Amino acid sequence: MFVIVTYDVNEKRVNKVRKILKKYFTWVQNSVFEGEITYGKLEKCKRELFSVIEKDEDSVYFYEMEYKIVCNKKVLGQEKNYDSIIL
Amino acid sequence: MQKTLYINSNGRLRRKENTLYFETETEKRAVDIENIEQIHIFGEVDLNTRALNYISQYGIVLHFYNYYGFYAGSFMPRKKNVSGDVVVRQALHYLDRDKRMFLAYCFVESAVYHMMRNLRERKEAEAFLNAIEDEWENGRFNISSIPELMGLEGRVRNIYYSSFNQFLPEDFYMERREKRPPTNPINALISFGNSLIYSTILTEIYHTQLDPSISFLHEPGEKRFSLSLDISEIFKPLIVDSVIFKLLNNRQITLEHFDEDLNYCYLNQEGRKIFIKELQNKLETTVRHRQLNRNVSYKGYIRLECYKLIKHFIGDSVYSPLKAWW
Repeated sequence: MFVIVTYDVNEKRVNKVRKILKKYFTWVQNSVFEGEITYGKLEKCKRELFSVIEKDEDSVYFYEMEYKIVCNKKVLGQEKNYDSIIL
Repeated sequence: MQKTLYINSNGRLRRKENTLYFETETEKRAVDIENIEQIHIFGEVDLNTRALNYISQYGIVLHFYNYYGFYAGSFMPRKKNVSGDVVVRQALHYLDRDKRMFLAYCFVESAVYHMMRNLRERKEAEAFLNAIEDEWENGRFNISSIPELMGLEGRVRNIYYSSFNQFLPEDFYMERREKRPPTNPINALISFGNSLIYSTILTEIYHTQLDPSISFLHEPGEKRFSLSLDISEIFKPLIVDSVIFKLLNNRQITLEHFDEDLNYCYLNQEGRKIFIKELQNKLETTVRHRQLNRNVSYKGYIRLECYKLIKHFIGDSVYSPLKAWW
């Protein structure tokens, strides 16, 4: 499945959240990650995040799509191509 | 699907903030380590044990290639799927002459099937197709030993390669197949593609209980993981050759993508990038599996081939090699 993650977290914890997300997704913009992932791994990721964030203060949004094609991504201006498999 | 990473540039792989970073002089990129299955390294890359330890936690296989794109070796983390039982049974199939013959024959049969499949769509190659069919049909029933089988396979492959001149661009004329080192562009392409597929298959074998050094068609103990050579017989014509045909006939790869040295020839960085991209596309292409009733990628079919072998070894079901039906 394809997932877009955005987060709005208190400064104290923003780095912790970023570090967790970085393992699972590719970074696209400040506070935005995206990438293909399996259900199991997504659940694992959410669990890790849940132990870090403060429930009544922070929020992390997951936009989950069954397939990548469903997401019609259009870019205005700079496209930062971070997900290429050839480095 | 788990991703494959190709590192073409020079830099450093490092463990930082509990993930993997690839740093070059100009840029720094985080790798989503949870989604990586294998990394092919072509550039000059530094890495230390901290990085290796972290990589092994995730069971990621590293394949190294030298400056000319030839396979140098792999780093394989501690195997998580081990089964002595399967290994013993696999060895028993090697020791029993008939059982070994059966498996070796299966690999060659599938290889020939896929070679003919590649030629069948091309009008120019009809004569060669008939020649292969003659050679194969006459030879296949008179085989009594593995070397004879390999000889037959070699003869079929020669006819197959000589047909390439009929439908590939003139620049890529091939007199004969040459390895170690390849001396002209088409041989360089085939060699590069084959070494990529060997290591991809090795990664798939790594994730199953099979032992990569016990093989059937190729003699084991050749200081190589020869089981991956066996299985690659099936997938070389199916994946590598069709990628080469596509790239050459669409003029995506031309002579300018090769560097020629005194006695050999190899793909340059730009050419390698194009090739890898197309190969990766191919590996990710899915075809609906008839029994599983779901879409399976070409890479998935490699894994399924390993599972079929295991089932054969433990006496679950008789191995029948993949024959592309699509």
